[in-house]
Amino acid sequence: MDFYFGLAQIIGVHTLLGLSAYIVLLTGQVSLAQAGFFAVGAYVAGMLTVLAGWAILPALAVSSLFGGAVACAVGFPALRVKGLMLVIATLAFGEAVRLFFFNFDYQVAKGGVKLGPVGGEGFRQIRYFPEHGWTTMEVMLFIWGFVILAMALLWWFDRSRYGAVLRAVGEDELAAQSVGINLTAVKVSAMTVGGMIAGLGGGIYAHYTTHIEHASFGILLATFALAYPILGGLESVFGTVVAVVFVQGLLVEGLRFLGDWRNLLFGALIVLAMNVRPKGFLDAPALLWIGRIFRGRRGAA
Amino acid sequence: MNKIALAVAAAFAATAFTSPGAFAQDKTIKIAGFGAKSGVVRGFGINSEAALLAAADQINKAGGVKLADGSKGKFAVEFLDDRCTAEEGISVIRRIAGTDAVVAIGPTCSNVAEPLFGILQKKVDDKSDSGLQMPVFTDVAIKVGLAKISEWAFRNVPNEVTMYSSLFYWLKTKHPEMKTVFGGVEEDFAHSRATWYAVMKDRAATNGYAIAGETKWLLADTNFATQVREMKKANADIVAISAHPFSTCGVLKEMQRQGVKPKLLVGLTSTSTFETMQGCAKQAEGMIIPTSFAPVTKEGKAASDATAKFKGAADLHSMAAWENMFILKQVMESEKISGNPKDVQADRRKIRDGLAKLKITKGLMGETKRTDDREADKPYLFVQAKGGHWTVLHNPL
Repeated sequence: MDFYFGLAQIIGVHTLLGLSAYIVLLTGQVSLAQAGFFAVGAYVAGMLTVLAGWAILPALAVSSLFGGAVACAVGFPALRVKGLMLVIATLAFGEAVRLFFFNFDYQVAKGGVKLGPVGGEGFRQIRYFPEHGWTTMEVMLFIWGFVILAMALLWWFDRSRYGAVLRAVGEDELAAQSVGINLTAVKVSAMTVGGMIAGLGGGIYAHYTTHIEHASFGILLATFALAYPILGGLESVFGTVVAVVFVQGLLVEGLRFLGDWRNLLFGALIVLAMNVRPKGFLDAPALLWIGRIFRGRRGAA
Repeated sequence: MNKIALAVAAAFAATAFTSPGAFAQDKTIKIAGFGAKSGVVRGFGINSEAALLAAADQINKAGGVKLADGSKGKFAVEFLDDRCTAEEGISVIRRIAGTDAVVAIGPTCSNVAEPLFGILQKKVDDKSDSGLQMPVFTDVAIKVGLAKISEWAFRNVPNEVTMYSSLFYWLKTKHPEMKTVFGGVEEDFAHSRATWYAVMKDRAATNGYAIAGETKWLLADTNFATQVREMKKANADIVAISAHPFSTCGVLKEMQRQGVKPKLLVGLTSTSTFETMQGCAKQAEGMIIPTSFAPVTKEGKAASDATAKFKGAADLHSMAAWENMFILKQVMESEKISGNPKDVQADRRKIRDGLAKLKITKGLMGETKRTDDREADKPYLFVQAKGGHWTVLHNPL
């Protein structure tokens, strides 16, 4: 059972990463910076629990705030550019963060052992969960508590005026601006919320893996962050979860028994999924269909 | 008709009573191998899997493992791909822990070993530590000092500090005219990076060499022009390359293109493999590497041939996997594991304790000393690339 709880942990962490990109995508912006915010959160939370001896909750709160603050700072200059230029700008930021941690050394001697990040060799012994006796199931529930919170927040946004504004900017910036929407404020706020979610996810990731290094936060992770909401569909926050389950649960874990063939199928199945469901797994008709089923059941009850 | 039926029944009954166990099925002892079978370092995983299967086949043909109740168990090996990523490595070890595999052998990459050892229980019997209680016996991941992360982690990998210390000492004695060393390091790979900064560079300096400089590249790099230009400018007597076969070959080819010819080439221990000879035998000609395996003994040759039958190449890493299987057989027998799926956790604990007790193990190159921090001090020799093969240059022991 531990294996499935462990898998649920991975799915939870990747869902947070996907949700961080989801809110930015709602405004029509394609950001490859999410892996950078994720890395910032991971290192900050790891350093707070290992080096400063903080408890996990305040450490995650600070990692989330750090992620948000960095995203806000990046958002102002980066969101002045659009489309492909923004992709390149955010990609450059992500790489800059990765290279920063590649060269970042900060070690403190604790109990005769030096702990902390050591550049390219990474940051080991982030063992808060096992050292405090948390079982795999408890860690999984802890992670999913945050996932549900993040999803609830984004679901609420989607149903609020703020969500309508985000989608309006995403649909047509010019039209949105013409009705008095402050584009910079909307985009930067979406980037900040996305950064906070990514920072939180990164903080959890560091404690889940117990060891982090720059290579874990490269372009591949940034691509996954974008792929989840696109593959899942931007109509609903639930699409991101469905996509993460598809990628991490089915393609990565479910097909492991296929050995070398898994890697070939991995790409092929993603291309196939995008062709069969070009607007994502949970597009508008799918959501309508699910809604009808639920309404039907409620009516019958 | 009744008489015939009676005779057949009597014959069956007689057989059953005279040789108990003749109908008893051998128990299966599951060993889970894991490592990289995809990406740049996939060769290591493929070779390890072949060596594990070959060793299991040999052990099974010789009768298998003697279990606590006197019966025999047969090894069954399953190998899982972790794609050399931390997340997948953790997922794989959790998957293995959920099966009735009694021990895991792997991983390939040090960047997987670090987090994986991190999720294991740090100290045995520490009730406050909820880490995984699964013995892991590493064959490939070689970065210095990883087993100390957890008391459930054991390694049968060579000690690079000893090997490079000995190599640079020998080179200084053999070639006193050489004074300078220039380093080339695959910066983003945990093992190669740590080996240059913590081992090669330090050992070269300790043995009186002046470090003329260093240059860096990444595992997946394909262009090394700038790095080789730096190398050329430094004009050192010895160029020490701390990188895996893929990028080592890239650098060596670029060195040939730019006409960089140091007096001596020193390589990373993980590069003394078939892959290097396949990729750049001509350019690697003369390169010297300390390694814990070369098929120079009768046992080594036999293990190498047996691994080849399972489509794998024998090198210091895959032969460590081979050795691990025989060490585990010995431990399982001495610790009297039951081999029953219901006792899997107790058997895992017995194997861990048995591995921790070992002081000396028998390897393909001779005896290996086990250290208190669950590492190995393996015999080694220096090999040199010559005519498309790794040939033994010197045996310092």
